Amino acid sequence: MSKIYDYLDERLSITELRKFGEKKTVPLHKYSFWYYWGGISLLCFLIQLITGILLMIYYKPGPDAYNSVRAITYDVDFGWLVRSAHSWSATIFLLSVFVHMFSVYFMKAYKKPREFGWWSGMALLILGLLFGFSGYLLPMDELSFTATKVGLAIPENIPVVGHAIANLMRGGLEVSEITVQRFFAWHAVVLPLLYLPLLMFHLFLVQKHGNAIPESEEAVPVAQRKTIPFFPNFLLKDLAMWLFTLNVVAVMASLFPPDLGKMADPLGPAPVGVHPEWYFMSSFETLKLIGRVITGTIGEAVGITIFTLGMVLWCLIPFYDVNTPGGLKGKRATYFGLFCLGVLLVTTLLGYFVG
Amino acid sequence: MNYPVWEVQGIGLPWVVGIIAIFHVMISQFAVGGGLYLALVERKAIKDGRSDWFPLIKAHSKFFLLLTAVFGTVSGVGIWFAIGLIQPEATSTLIHNFVFGWAIEWVFFLVELASAIVYYYTWDRIPQALHLKVAWLYAGASVCTLVIINGILSFMLTPGDTWLGVAGSGHESTYFWNAFFNPTYWPSLMIRCLVCGSLAAVWALVTFSRLDVEAYGKTRTELIRWTVRWLIPAFILMPIAFLWYAAMIPATNKHLLELGMATIGSGAFTQVTRIALLSIMSSATIAAVAYLFAYKYPRDFSSGHAIAIVGIALAATASTEYAREAIRKPYVIGSHMYSNGVRVHDVDKLNQTGFLTQSMWTPTGAAVTDVQRGKAMFAGQCMYCHTVNGYRSMKHFLEGRDAKAIGNILTMLRQNKVDSPYHAYMPPLVGTTEEVAALQTYLLTLNQAAPAGSVARK
Repeated sequence: MSKIYDYLDERLSITELRKFGEKKTVPLHKYSFWYYWGGISLLCFLIQLITGILLMIYYKPGPDAYNSVRAITYDVDFGWLVRSAHSWSATIFLLSVFVHMFSVYFMKAYKKPREFGWWSGMALLILGLLFGFSGYLLPMDELSFTATKVGLAIPENIPVVGHAIANLMRGGLEVSEITVQRFFAWHAVVLPLLYLPLLMFHLFLVQKHGNAIPESEEAVPVAQRKTIPFFPNFLLKDLAMWLFTLNVVAVMASLFPPDLGKMADPLGPAPVGVHPEWYFMSSFETLKLIGRVITGTIGEAVGITIFTLGMVLWCLIPFYDVNTPGGLKGKRATYFGLFCLGVLLVTTLLGYFVG
Repeated sequence: MNYPVWEVQGIGLPWVVGIIAIFHVMISQFAVGGGLYLALVERKAIKDGRSDWFPLIKAHSKFFLLLTAVFGTVSGVGIWFAIGLIQPEATSTLIHNFVFGWAIEWVFFLVELASAIVYYYTWDRIPQALHLKVAWLYAGASVCTLVIINGILSFMLTPGDTWLGVAGSGHESTYFWNAFFNPTYWPSLMIRCLVCGSLAAVWALVTFSRLDVEAYGKTRTELIRWTVRWLIPAFILMPIAFLWYAAMIPATNKHLLELGMATIGSGAFTQVTRIALLSIMSSATIAAVAYLFAYKYPRDFSSGHAIAIVGIALAATASTEYAREAIRKPYVIGSHMYSNGVRVHDVDKLNQTGFLTQSMWTPTGAAVTDVQRGKAMFAGQCMYCHTVNGYRSMKHFLEGRDAKAIGNILTMLRQNKVDSPYHAYMPPLVGTTEEVAALQTYLLTLNQAAPAGSVARK
């Protein structure tokens, strides 16, 4: 055993890495729980990567899309489980990304020198949402078809370039098998190519700057702050969290596999209960609410503009919330965060229970 | 048939019992294992002269008393209410057979409850040796409650040939001991004892992981490590206990598991198998986290981790209990009573004379429509497991099916041939052909997509 270790150590400098891991520390305080959510989303991403590759073996984009998903669900051995794990890990992935984002926000981990961590994280979130949107259409059943049709009608209202963007995404004037082909290319090639290097960059920054600590902890004198070594202590805690998450994914995936509806019929009536996936429910509902106040195409355009502005403000928060005497800007940033979280939760709930 | 049917839409009748039972089992098995745990941990503290452990054990016993004596008791009564409403026929059969068994269990339960209270309130008030005796009294009484209830629970899966030979004769209770020590009694008791020990550890980890690392460093580590050892018997012996249990269950029930195993790839007929596999996975996770984490690095083991283990233990309990219940399908009392309360030996009679004619709670008279009679058939035979639009939704199953397709399914269920895929886990549909046609008419009304005029009478 030690011979193998020595062999690898001489070539890969394992001892050096271990010493580095032992020296590196992670802060320990009452909000440490929130440090795990980035790791949870990473695990879910890895599950999606593996299950996505497995699905790709049988999935056929284009006119055969529906039938191939049908075959995966009902004919291929364990196909139902792989599809279900892919779908559930996507849901838990986005959920943990949202939790991670808000915990980073409220811990003010976007402040100098971690701004690029925040921006790369925001870009990863947007890519994650695009993964969700493009993946949702791939089964091509009537629900995913109609939801995508509704979803793609939104960018159509962007002034000037709206039509061009929507047509480019659809590959024509209507959602069709060409759209599936395009979405598949996005979902399985373009987005991963963008996502993976960005993820590496994000992880590099986390490693470089270490974990941020909340303001309450900053008030504690440095000598009294508690830390634990990254290796093995924090890594073990992280792995325990991964194991718990894996259990949750397994329970959900094996007990509640996603349905496959009827094959999409572009000429048929829209099925009952069409709604976007939960992570788009808030934006969908917000646009709907604004549309009630300002009706017509202008309303949708105003809605999209407000939404985009909100997103831009959210991204630019590191420029606003710099350390000022009295911390007034910091407080305002926290209130803005609470407001955004409130809007997100309330509009999502409205979408499910009222809309 | 002799009782009205309680209608629960949404989660359905099985989950009313299921939800209460899962929490109750989790707590009551903790009550049994935790009793032994308290006695042994106190004994160790006395033997090793560790008086610093006493206040910590006392804190754990307070938590234990609150959880078991309050929640355990209330949920236990909840089960009685629920099964009485949901499965009155089966509950009646059990009471007729086991009334004395239950009476004895309640005596032990009373001793258990009283000694738990005495145990907690006499900390530091009576001599330590006497206090330990109270702990042993509690532990003994609680093990006795398990020993008794296990006979009744395992009876429901395997009543045994002797009891089945006299079932329906009116002399069933004279075979009390045969029914009690039925084929799965001992393996089931072994599994439950192992689970009780594990749950004692899982809950104790919650108490001890909450201790401040700085203030209780060494003691905390010792207690956590000693507690983790309680999981060892379960994880060595559980596979053996399961194999023993599986060997004792009848071939028809085993077939359900085998069917699940054979079709797990395609995902058909595999609910029980999937859940059984989840039970294994969650148990393995508890073992892994307990050993690799709590035992090896007790200082890093936080109360959050301990609570997560409780969550996984709950998932393990839920999946094991679900699998145990589901494997009994299509019976509620093995080979004697189907899961909808129809007795096996009544099937032929009900097919000839009618199901609704035997029921005291169905609408009668000339004005009663087919839909009403069909609804009564649905309530009397299907609603024990299905709902209209919730759990195991009938609307969902029938989606897109016309009268002929529904008729075919009903015919298949009524014939209940051995090679039918439903035979393994669904009771036969009973009643006259007119009653089955009425059920078909009613089911068609649930399926709005099908043309209403296409009802075919057989």
